[in-house]
Amino acid sequence: MHESEPALLSRLVRWRRPVGVALVLLTVLYAWAVGSAPIDSVQGVIQKILYVHPPLAYGAYLGFVLTAIGGALYLWRGREAWDQLAVAGAEVGVVFCTLMMVTGPIWAKGTWGHWWSWDPRLTLTLLLWFVYASYLLLRGFTEGAARTARFAAIYGILGTLLIPLNYFVIELFQGRAVHPDNLERGSLGSGMGWPFLLGNITLFAAFVYCVLLRWEVEMRRARIALRADALAAGPL
Amino acid sequence: MTYAIAAYGITALTLVIYLGLLHRERNRLAAADR
Repeated sequence: MHESEPALLSRLVRWRRPVGVALVLLTVLYAWAVGSAPIDSVQGVIQKILYVHPPLAYGAYLGFVLTAIGGALYLWRGREAWDQLAVAGAEVGVVFCTLMMVTGPIWAKGTWGHWWSWDPRLTLTLLLWFVYASYLLLRGFTEGAARTARFAAIYGILGTLLIPLNYFVIELFQGRAVHPDNLERGSLGSGMGWPFLLGNITLFAAFVYCVLLRWEVEMRRARIALRADALAAGPL
Repeated sequence: MTYAIAAYGITALTLVIYLGLLHRERNRLAAADR
């Protein structure tokens, strides 16, 4: 284990606490903002899914980018903590991606009349989910060998190539996509900007809290495994 | 209305359960790590 690992572990605990307090306060504000947001004249109440669905997508993207950053730092520095951050990012990213793929079809059923469409955005999102769910399976089925960590790092970095493709695919398909265009400045109705911003900030806080906690879990698992290995090896 | 409640309900419930499981695992490991 790297000599500064205990210091990083205590820093993770220190950082997590204020984020947790902020998350609780933000959740209350967020619930109030969603409840009091204006009702869309075309879609009705179902349009309020807007305040949760895109923020979940941004969380999923962030998680997978974190996996790539952690993987790249691990390849560069060889420090286990970066590999553990990559695992944390992938797991939290998959949780957010799953929720994005649950809230999206609920919204689709209410507005398009069907749960799913093999639209380019939806198809690529499903592919992205499979890529990182496979990453977690790979990590779950193999013991923490350095070779697996290196392979997972390269896999995690390559997987992020799907993110810009997924984001810009609607523009690439120019009007043939069923999924609405990406949000731009001014594309939200009056009074919808604040709930959307609060949704993004709250789910970002939830994302950070989950990553810090998951990273800590991964670091503690490695510490305990290392100690068990040392005990099994016995005195030299 | 039902669709919106379902979307928010599933999101909130999943995140609460996920955080609960993470905290339980963290506490178990922290106790073993002492």
